[in-house]
Formats: sequence, C-alpha cells, structure tokens
Amino acid sequence: MTTFKENDVHVVAPEVAISFFKGIMPFSTLEEKTLRSLAHHCRIDFFPKGTRILTADTTELTHLYLIQRGGVKAFLEDDNGEVTLKDFRGEGAYIGALAIIRNTPANLNIETVEDTFCFLLPREIFLDLIENQASFAHFYLKSFSEKIVSTAYNELRHHKIARRSNEDLYLFSIKVGDLVKTIRKVVSSATIQEAAALMSEHHVGCLLVHAVDDPEKIIGIITDRDLRKKVVAAGLDFQQPVQSIMSGPVQTVLSQALCFDVLLKMMATGVHHLAVERTGRIIGVITSHDIMLLQGHSPYYLLKEIRGQQQITDLYPLAKKIPEVIRGLIGEGAKAGNITQMIAILNDHILERMLTLLEKELGIPPVPYCWLLMGSEGRREQTFKTDQDNAILYADPADEAQREAAETYFKAFAAKAIEHLVNCGYPLCPGEVMAINPRWCQPLSAWKHYFERWVADPDPQELRYATIFFDFRAGFGEALLAEELRNHLNKQIAGRELFLFHLSRQCTEIRVPLSFFKNFIVEKDGEHKNRLDIKRQGLTPFVNFARVLALKFGIKETNTLARLKALMEGELILGELWSAASEAYELQMQQRLVHQLRQIEAGINPDNYIDPADLSDLERRMLKEAFTVIERLYGVLDQMYPVT
Amino acid sequence: MVNLLKPSSWFASPDPLIIQNREIFSRFDQSRPLTEYTFVVCDTELTGFDLKHDEIISIGAVLIRDLQIDLGATFHRYIKPKNTQHTPATLIHRITPQQLAESPPLEEVLPAFVEFAGSSLVVGHCVSLDMAFLNRAARKVLGGTLSNPGIDTIRMARGYRRVLSGHFHGEEDWSRSYALEALAKEYHLPTFKSHDAFEDAMQTAYLFLFLLKKFRKGGLLTLKEIYQAGRI
Repeated sequence: MTTFKENDVHVVAPEVAISFFKGIMPFSTLEEKTLRSLAHHCRIDFFPKGTRILTADTTELTHLYLIQRGGVKAFLEDDNGEVTLKDFRGEGAYIGALAIIRNTPANLNIETVEDTFCFLLPREIFLDLIENQASFAHFYLKSFSEKIVSTAYNELRHHKIARRSNEDLYLFSIKVGDLVKTIRKVVSSATIQEAAALMSEHHVGCLLVHAVDDPEKIIGIITDRDLRKKVVAAGLDFQQPVQSIMSGPVQTVLSQALCFDVLLKMMATGVHHLAVERTGRIIGVITSHDIMLLQGHSPYYLLKEIRGQQQITDLYPLAKKIPEVIRGLIGEGAKAGNITQMIAILNDHILERMLTLLEKELGIPPVPYCWLLMGSEGRREQTFKTDQDNAILYADPADEAQREAAETYFKAFAAKAIEHLVNCGYPLCPGEVMAINPRWCQPLSAWKHYFERWVADPDPQELRYATIFFDFRAGFGEALLAEELRNHLNKQIAGRELFLFHLSRQCTEIRVPLSFFKNFIVEKDGEHKNRLDIKRQGLTPFVNFARVLALKFGIKETNTLARLKALMEGELILGELWSAASEAYELQMQQRLVHQLRQIEAGINPDNYIDPADLSDLERRMLKEAFTVIERLYGVLDQMYPVT
Repeated sequence: MVNLLKPSSWFASPDPLIIQNREIFSRFDQSRPLTEYTFVVCDTELTGFDLKHDEIISIGAVLIRDLQIDLGATFHRYIKPKNTQHTPATLIHRITPQQLAESPPLEEVLPAFVEFAGSSLVVGHCVSLDMAFLNRAARKVLGGTLSNPGIDTIRMARGYRRVLSGHFHGEEDWSRSYALEALAKEYHLPTFKSHDAFEDAMQTAYLFLFLLKKFRKGGLLTLKEIYQAGRI
C-alpha cells in the first residue's frame, strides 16, 4: 500500500492531546516522538459539574488526571461532615500525581465545580515518565517535597510561585553523606529493652542492627515505630532479641547520592529511614525528617530566635526573615486567614521584644501604657510590609509633675521605637498615624475624648480618616487600658444611629468592581490595561461591613473574619451570608498574598494592583463570585440604613 | 443455487464482514448499562449530498469505551473518488486533488472501517446522512448494509434542550442552531477545526460524551432510557 502516512490508522496522532501536552509543564519538555506515543495511551473523560472524581483515602488512582477544560475543587471532610477547602484547580492542572507516586489512595476529595474534561494518563505510563525523565521527577518532587511532612496540598500555588533557587540548591547540592550523624547500632542479640534504652540515651529514633559476630555487618534496622507497633501494641516481651522485630535487610543509599534523589526514593518506596553507605561500609542513617529540615523556614524557629535576642539591632535581620517564613506557609497551602494571623504573631513578637529592650534602655515608664496597633495591624490583617499604624495610650497621670514626666518619656520612647521599626522594615505611615505624632500619644482621658467626638458629631470627611482608629488593639504593654477604651467606645456608640449611618454610607460608596470583569471580557486583546485594586475594591468593603456591624452590636473583635464569625454566632447575620463572606474575603486575601509574594520575589515593591492577565479563567470566575458577595453585604447595610 | 424466493440471493452473497456484522447485532440488547457499550463516533467528508452521484472522500472515527474517548483507537483515511471531477468541494475539505488521487480506493478503506467499528454503536452528528452514504458504499463493496444501530447527537442535543427548558411536549426551539460548531460553543467544549473528517469526529465525540454523561447524571443509566428520553 503506497499511501501517504496520515492514512495509517496507527499514525493518526490525536492533535488535541499533543497540543495540550505541549502547553503544560512538565510535558512540554518531552520530545515530539514521546508526546505522540503518550497521546495514544490517553483517554478523555467528561465529568459534569458536581461530580465527585476522587474520594480521599478510598479511590485508588489508575490514571493521572489532567484538566483540559473546566475546574475542580480539592477538599477534606472530617467525620462530622465538616469540609475544609484546600484548593481550586483549573485548566492545565493535574490531579492524583502525589497518590500515584506514593502508591496510596487519593489524599483529597476532588469534585468538579464546573463541566470538566480531563485527559487520563495511565498510572504505569506516568510512573515510567517519573522514573525516566529527569524533568518529571524534578517537577513533581519540587511540588511535593513540603507535603510529605505537612498536610497541606496546594498544587495551584506551587505552579504560581516559582521556587527560590537557593532552596533548590540545598536539595540538589547537598549529599546525604554530609547530613549523616554518628552511627548508632546495636547487636542483634540485645534485648528490645536494651535497644530502647540505647535509643533514649542517644536521642535517636532508630538503630541499625549488626550481626553478633561482626559489628560492621548491618543486618537490619529498628525504629520508634517498630517499638510502638510490634512491641507495645502487640504486647511483646521486652526481653526478646531485637532481631525479632527489626526490618532487614536495610535499604541503603550511597553517601554521594543527592538529597533530592534520596527523597525521591523515600517517596517511591514509603521507607523513611535509609542506611547510608560509603565505600562498602554503612556510616549511618538518613531520614526524611533530616532532609526536610534542610528546607525548613519554620515560623517556630524564627519565634524562638526573636525571643532570645538581647540587642534591638539584632532584631532587624530577624524581622526581615518574616516574608521568607510566610512564603513557606503559602507554599504549603495555608489559608490566608492563618497566614495573616501568623504575620501578626511574628510582628507582635518583634514589637514585644523591641519595646521590652527599649524599656530597659530608657528606664521604667512613669505611668502604665499600652502600645496600640491600628488599621490592618489592629485587625491582624497585614500582608507584607504594611505601613506602621500605631499609637500610645497611657494611664491618666495623677498630677502635673507626672503628666510632664509621661510626656517626656513617651516622646523619647516613641521616637526610638519608630526608628527601630523602620530599620526592621516597617515603613513610616504617610498619614502620620504613629506614636511619634503627639496627637496619637495621649493619656486615656484624651483618647476617650477623641472617640466621643467622632461618635457624637460625625463629620463624614474626618470619619473617613478616622476609621482605622476604630480597629485598635493592644500591641504591647497594659492591655487593660486598651480594653477600657474599647468599653468606653462601645458605650458611646450604642444608639448613635447617625454615626453608624455615615459609617455605612461611607462603606457602600465603594463600587462593586464587577464591571471590571465585563470590561475585561470585552477587551480580550490586552488593550485594556485596567487593573484591579484588590485591597480597595475587593477587600475593604468586607472590612468596612464587618466594622460597621461590629460597632453597632458592640463586638470587641477587630479582625474581620472574627467579627463576621461573632456576628453569625450572635445571629446578627445569616449563617449562609457569613460563610459566603468569609470565603470570599479569604480568597481575595490569598490572591493578594500570592500577588505580593511574587512581586517581592521579582524585587518589586509589593502593591495591591492585580493584572487580570495574570489570572486564570478559574481565578477570574472565583473573584467574580467573591465580588457578588459585596452586593449582598451592601444590601444588608442598605436595609439597615436606607438613604432616604 | 439461486433461490428466487429470497431477495438477498438475487445479488452476490454478502461479504463475511457483513455476515459477522449482522450476527453481532442480531441479539442486540438495549437494556444494558451504558458503560458496557462501545461507540464509534464517526464523520464522513462527502463530495456533495447527492446520494446518487456524490462520494465519500474521507472517514474519521474514534472509539468510546467505558464512556471515555480512547485516543489509542482512532481511524482516519482519505479515499480516492471514482469521479475525479469533484473539485469545488475538495477546497472546503483541505485536501488537494493530488492527495486524493494518491489515496486508496473505497474497496480498501470501507472494510477497514467496518472492522474498526466492530460491535460498536455508530454515533454521528446527523448520523443518518453518514449512514446513508456508508451503507450505499457497503452494499456496493461488501454486498450488504451495516447493522450497527445509530445514535444521532443532534437528536440528543434536542432532548437535552427539552430537559433544560422543561418543555417535553411543547414547541421545539429551532431558532437556535444545532450545528456542531454552535453546540460546541454553547456547551463550552474544547473546539476543533471543522471540515476535516477526523477533527469533526473528535468534536462529535466530545459532544456525545458531554450529552451522554449529562443524561446519565440525570439518572438515565441504560441505552434504552437514553433512546426514550432523547428519542435519539
């Protein structure tokens, strides 16, 4: 048959699959020939919106799923039916890779949130690629390495945030031989109890077991887990020889193997303790934990370091490490609400340590005081590098002499504190809402007076500027002072409908940015350089809404999510509105965090302007849905405070 | 011996492929779960719509098994026409007369297609047109017609619209297009370049899978139920 090639049944290359693969990592790195053969092994499946594709801990993966069209959500469900949303994945994203590589059932529930077409790549073929294509192992391992130790699974964000090169360097430059600690071993005839005692003595989680006649001949390994499962749980006699519970022979790796490759082996085999071999001798054990520590930017370590500092100047470099820690959290898929809490905790610790040291330097203050945090700091909603918004509130002095002493002391105290904060990387507030401004460094009675005036005689112009003060909280010092001020404020507000009316009006003035998307959909070619201010247009309406209602109902919380929750618990807003608003708010926070993180990595000053071109279809849809929630919030306010 | 009372014996006896094809579908059961059937989604390119004079110049097809499109089972052939004067249509089909002239004849391609289709149900967008041409060709080349039951994605789309609009017995809304491209757009399906038998078959496969699974999610689990609901 002398026909041209396309006429051969087996050479009809499904172009649709090939062009899809060419567009996604890491398939795009494959040769054309390999892609063609892959394409022939694929199937295409369709899942109507609302179809459960995978069930956590149940579904065995026979295929890797690659989303061609549509989108899915990944979530966990506990025994009470409580759902934790982990992730949304859109076109080009994969599903099930981790479970295939680790040879476990699905780790998350996957459900389609819209009509979804997927390419299905058979499991064996995917594993074969992982084994034989360097780019594949690299790609998937990079996105999983943190997940082995955490329960966070956010693949979307792993695609969005390029990894820092130095982080990779650790995994790709350090050899396991460099990590191995002193070898700890026990003779196979020793009793289980003796072995356990030895492990406690050396503070190790595993021991190598050597033959009776040759200490160099390693025949097995015992771990904490063996003691737990095979001895304690099984009620085994502690006087049995360790040989009876050890695993053997021991799996080994060569000391010159890269940590990356070793991690891959651990993931593939599920064995997390490997013996390290150098020139035919076992020199020690490497665990997945040892390797994970290499990558760690743990918030906990940073916290401990901050607490231990004796010099204020030593706090500067630590404060600058915060973005790195946060980056790790985002990478692990932490939710925005948790991330901002973590930022607040770390910032609070810097502040606490700094002011403690400053008090030592300047002597005991003449009267008790409280360092107030305002605005986003007050709400525990900072992202990266937000301006300082702070103030000093001190106890009313008993007499004139004390008043003067306090003024002098706190002036000097504030000046130094602000300077240190700047050096830590917290920029000055352009509106000068800082303790260094005499207006915002006042005794309790003066503060009470400020709030009384704002509430009793609301000037819309001034109110706009004053709203950040309503979100104050105690940052350091005598928290009782802040609480007294809060109680006073709540008493003042009760029944002041005019004040709440103005606050509510001010809130609804911000237009819902839905037209943004309409514009965007029309102007597809990128002519429309319309960017979205996700803070002002997207987040502020939620913050304002929560503030108005919190003040109206005397809720003391300042954090927006906490305010919303308190409103729901007090049955002041519908549970359904609460969950929609919380989700929408958190989603936008997340977008903002990822956006700013990318800017920091690119060496740009972080801002709040999101370019629609950077968003995927799914993200755009999700944001759009989030914005529709704003209309509902405005509806609540309009009903409460009608314009006419 | 020619039995004059049996009309089929007036002609040459059917090819073994046709006999086998008849056997497969002689006890065809519509009540099995959808997952148990295989479907061959196909499209033909024709020189025109005149059953007497026009010819098939290309067949594209893909199999659906386990309700999934199997990219390992695809079929795409060009066919050398008997009459080489059909040039205007070939422009639409992006095939040069030269290419067609070098292609194998129908006598070679059709048996391969019948074999490829095997025991599958034939799915097409306006499938009766494709079947009419295929059967005319089959009668000529293989001495008999194909017994594979056909499923029309246009009828399925109409059924789906009826379900969505809730009008099961009322007026049909024919103002909206039932063209393959229009439906693909309406349902946000991945799109393919049209007027190529294989690409059109793929597009139809996506449409079929979409509709089938939508029906299935709505509780129609057997072929019979789908036939009844969509009157396909």
